[in-house]
Amino acid sequence: MNVILSIAKTTIGEAIRRRVLLIILLIGVLFLVIAPGLSVLSARSSYTVLVSFTLGVIQLTSAVIAIVLTVYLLPNEVERRTIYTILSKPVYRWQFLLGKYLGAVGALGLMMALMTGILVLVFKIMQAEAGMDVVMTLARAPMMYFVQMSLLAAVAMFFSTFASPIVNFFLTGGVYLVGTLFSPVFQDIAGNNSVNAMVKTAATVIHTLVPNFAQFNVQNTIINSGSQLRSEQMYYLQLVAYAFAYVAVFLIGGMMIFDRKEV
Amino acid sequence: MNLAIETKKLTKTYKTSSGMQSVVKDLDLEVEKGEIFGFLGPNGAGKTTTIKILLGIIDGTSGEANVLGRPAGDIESHKRLSYLPEKPYYYEHMTGLEITQFYASLFGIKDKDLCVNLLNRVNLGNDYNRPISQYSKGMQQRVGLAQSLLNDPELLFLDEPTGGLDPIAHIEIRDLILKFRDEGRTVFISSHELSDVERICDRVAIINKGEMVHQGRLDDLLSGGRIEVTADGVAENLVDKFKGDDMTLSLRAGRLIADLPDTMSPNEMIDAIRTGGGSVVSVIPRRKRLEDLFLESVSGDNLAKGRVTGKMTDDDKKADVKEEEVSS
Repeated sequence: MNVILSIAKTTIGEAIRRRVLLIILLIGVLFLVIAPGLSVLSARSSYTVLVSFTLGVIQLTSAVIAIVLTVYLLPNEVERRTIYTILSKPVYRWQFLLGKYLGAVGALGLMMALMTGILVLVFKIMQAEAGMDVVMTLARAPMMYFVQMSLLAAVAMFFSTFASPIVNFFLTGGVYLVGTLFSPVFQDIAGNNSVNAMVKTAATVIHTLVPNFAQFNVQNTIINSGSQLRSEQMYYLQLVAYAFAYVAVFLIGGMMIFDRKEV
Repeated sequence: MNLAIETKKLTKTYKTSSGMQSVVKDLDLEVEKGEIFGFLGPNGAGKTTTIKILLGIIDGTSGEANVLGRPAGDIESHKRLSYLPEKPYYYEHMTGLEITQFYASLFGIKDKDLCVNLLNRVNLGNDYNRPISQYSKGMQQRVGLAQSLLNDPELLFLDEPTGGLDPIAHIEIRDLILKFRDEGRTVFISSHELSDVERICDRVAIINKGEMVHQGRLDDLLSGGRIEVTADGVAENLVDKFKGDDMTLSLRAGRLIADLPDTMSPNEMIDAIRTGGGSVVSVIPRRKRLEDLFLESVSGDNLAKGRVTGKMTDDDKKADVKEEEVSS
């Protein structure tokens, strides 16, 4: 475990200093700061605009950071030959991969925590009358985004065991788009008995292989205070378990490929 | 025999667009415990591939590779060996001490004093708290050597340990390597610095195009050297008399420098010089240099290439002439 944590710690230290990630983070933070000014552009209530816009910024920024951060993790180690020094020590490849992944998730968590802190600050300034419970509800969305991004990082890590960074960028981005925009559609088709059997099978396969990223977007329950979940805690636990299962599958798949890969 | 490294018929083949290509072919390598072993070859000879196989980073296609009595890549043997890659890169945000502590943690070592002591040993005592980005090449190499000693290894793989270093750092690292041997460690060096290898290695192997060309003790491999005869007041007709394929003669302003194979007696030449009114300044037997052996080992390729294609470029011709000059 020490080996994995050491690799993770070093990965965090390096990731939070990578300029490209800091620039993406800075852009996200800038959007969060100017968000209150954008409510005048919309006819909807300032609360709705503020919440949906800021959460959207956090989600998009985090997704870009997760992909850019993870696609380069393994290739950089090979290119700089640090992997040879590390693997010549008593370190198994799966430990190396897991350490890199946990480091990526750790760095992602730090960056998302910063954005969430700014979100809460902006919200408290603009919605001074809002109580602590409202703020806590708002902070729940980034937490689910973090779970979502941890899953996205696992997808990128899986592809990085055999694809180049550029190819990986588009593959992971593609999986995220399909899982975010089309997963509910595939889910509907897979559950619809009236459609063609082949189409149904294809939809089921895609729905199974591509994680449903859309379900981690819990904005609606925050914006629409009228919509209530029957068992909120259970729902979130199920989402975390779902993400955990997919993360495990992608990481184990990645480890199996990486174990045989000639670096 | 007490072997630290042993390969038998080790072969590594890659699939390329033009078919299967062997990077390492039937390599039989034997490195004895406690020696400094030089692993030489031109670029693309298969040195790095062999090292990667020995470290278990890649697998051989066929044959056998054993390191410290266990199959190459065995995690138990990794606890007893170390590797310093060519031009190592370290995470730039970390200090020399943090880097060393990071690598120590991979062995489960948490002893900060050990890291500090090793950094002191490689003369980084005053600098280990500075970020690695501020280190010179030589200092980075020394951090590499410090990390390679963390587990008190029995076997060290050093890939170009003195490459690109200034003369002072060069000498310091060379001395450290000699100390490693004195401590009973086996050192496996892959290097292009032939003078260093000749100076510190007990045995060497030269590979070319993945195949073993020479392997043995340096003294044995470099025996069969040359004799250099220097004389003054030598007439030009004497040079014509002794011109031969295996001899280099240089005459300028009456000074003759003749380079003979040691299979040839210099007496006849010395007599002729004296008879012609010249005086012999020196007769020095010289051991063959490693550079000569290395060039002999790899030069056949270039000549063969020219013969096969039948299209030797001017550069090829110049190179061949140069190699012939060196070897004759």
